[in-house]
Amino acid sequence: MTIVEAAAQLRARKISSAELVSAALSQIEKLQPKLNAFITVLDERGRKQAREADEDLARGIDRGPLHGIPVALKDVFATKGVRTTCGSKIFEHHVPDRDSAVAEKLAEAGSILIGKTGMHELAYGVTSNNPHFGAIRNPRNPGRIPGGSSGGSGAAVAADMAFMAMGSDTGGSIRIPAAYCGTVGLKPTSGRISRHGAMLLDFSLDHMGPLTRSARDAGVTMNALAGYDPRDDSSSKRPVEDYVPAVGCSIRGLRVGWPENYYFERVDSSVRTAVERMGALAESLGAIIIPVRVPDIAAINTVGRVILMSEASAFFDSLGAGRDRFGSDVLSLYDQGRLLAATDYVNAQRLRRMMQREFSKLWDRIDCLFTPTVPIGAPPIGSLTVEIEGKAEDTRLATTRFVRAINVLGLPALSVPCGVTDEQLPIGLQIVGKPFAEAEILRIGAALEDAA
Amino acid sequence: MQDWKSIAIAKRLGMPESDLDLIVPVLEALDASFRPLIATIPIDIEPSIILSEPAVLGE
Repeated sequence: MTIVEAAAQLRARKISSAELVSAALSQIEKLQPKLNAFITVLDERGRKQAREADEDLARGIDRGPLHGIPVALKDVFATKGVRTTCGSKIFEHHVPDRDSAVAEKLAEAGSILIGKTGMHELAYGVTSNNPHFGAIRNPRNPGRIPGGSSGGSGAAVAADMAFMAMGSDTGGSIRIPAAYCGTVGLKPTSGRISRHGAMLLDFSLDHMGPLTRSARDAGVTMNALAGYDPRDDSSSKRPVEDYVPAVGCSIRGLRVGWPENYYFERVDSSVRTAVERMGALAESLGAIIIPVRVPDIAAINTVGRVILMSEASAFFDSLGAGRDRFGSDVLSLYDQGRLLAATDYVNAQRLRRMMQREFSKLWDRIDCLFTPTVPIGAPPIGSLTVEIEGKAEDTRLATTRFVRAINVLGLPALSVPCGVTDEQLPIGLQIVGKPFAEAEILRIGAALEDAA
Repeated sequence: MQDWKSIAIAKRLGMPESDLDLIVPVLEALDASFRPLIATIPIDIEPSIILSEPAVLGE
């Protein structure tokens, strides 16, 4: 069931929020020992708030489509009175005294927070194999990673533990778990959702966004979260739109950019076939496929890594924590960032400006870009390398190859499920949009979902 | 080519030799792809981060 469907049933009095929350908590109780998707479960509080949501609806107080819907937050979002660990030993006992903007807005929209999801330590990695809180497992195959860093959010939504779970995305951390777990994941444009009160791994690359079961559910969440927040310097004053795609929405005449270079190189054949099928489906719905040569994405990824390591290490320095407080993979990245020169960081930000200008020229010819989200299905837990077309590749670099550059550019991108690999692992299609075109890429995702 | 081990020692970051051995090849590969890009930056390009108005106002 999706948020849109549950919201309709709630208003038709066919189901109650108490029942929805109870079902979600039962699912967590059943699957948590196997998947480890949550760090904190808010059982009692969730049930109490659900009863209140039902009472409000009965009295005619309706806060909108998220009213009474059980949701979860990645453990980077500060929650007043609820432990917020960031998946780290450093914050193991941290209990914030105020809510993050996202937690605040979701509560105003009437949703019921049922827990804080597990994640890669400090959101710095793509496996969600957390040394302090344990490995999170993929619901589609528990021997596989859910992807990260928002792995618990991906697992929770895919395993029906929550209708929506929020993630954060520095180099793909919403879209990767969405692709690996078979959910929808939206990374909005920089500045569209407030980051206030969320732990920022990287000041200029971090984005907040939802993982859901449908594009329309992501739109419902965007309607609750998008908008200017003076507490976040990066927040945009650009007016918001209605992000929920209409029933029967069309993509006729849409110009879909189809990359001739980079995005279909070193890709599992089943991923290539699945994404090509989505291109054909879009074309059958009236979209126009336009082959394009994309700028040097590998170079943008390189620039992204220099920025990420510089900013993340600067943040970690300010925590004043000893080396023994970090897991080995995060410590290794921390060390790398500390050795980079300040001049390299500044030049990476200058290159970023250059690359943003160059990439934006594409929008004269196309409305969106279709790419695979990741080149492979979810790798086994603990694997440091993956094999693609007979060649071994670092798991982290392979997993982020198609998504990292989009954070550097600040563009919105949606991952939607589009099939399974030969090993029955989910595959994601990445739809990259123009700046602030969230409504458009959600409409494309919904049209493809409707037609699939 | 940068001498990453010397940089680490000079900065007195307390990184064990064994940890440095693991990260040096990664940094060398990153540097090899990053360094040539710097030469392509036109002189009038500013960084993609700017001083925000609230910061200027001291907020």
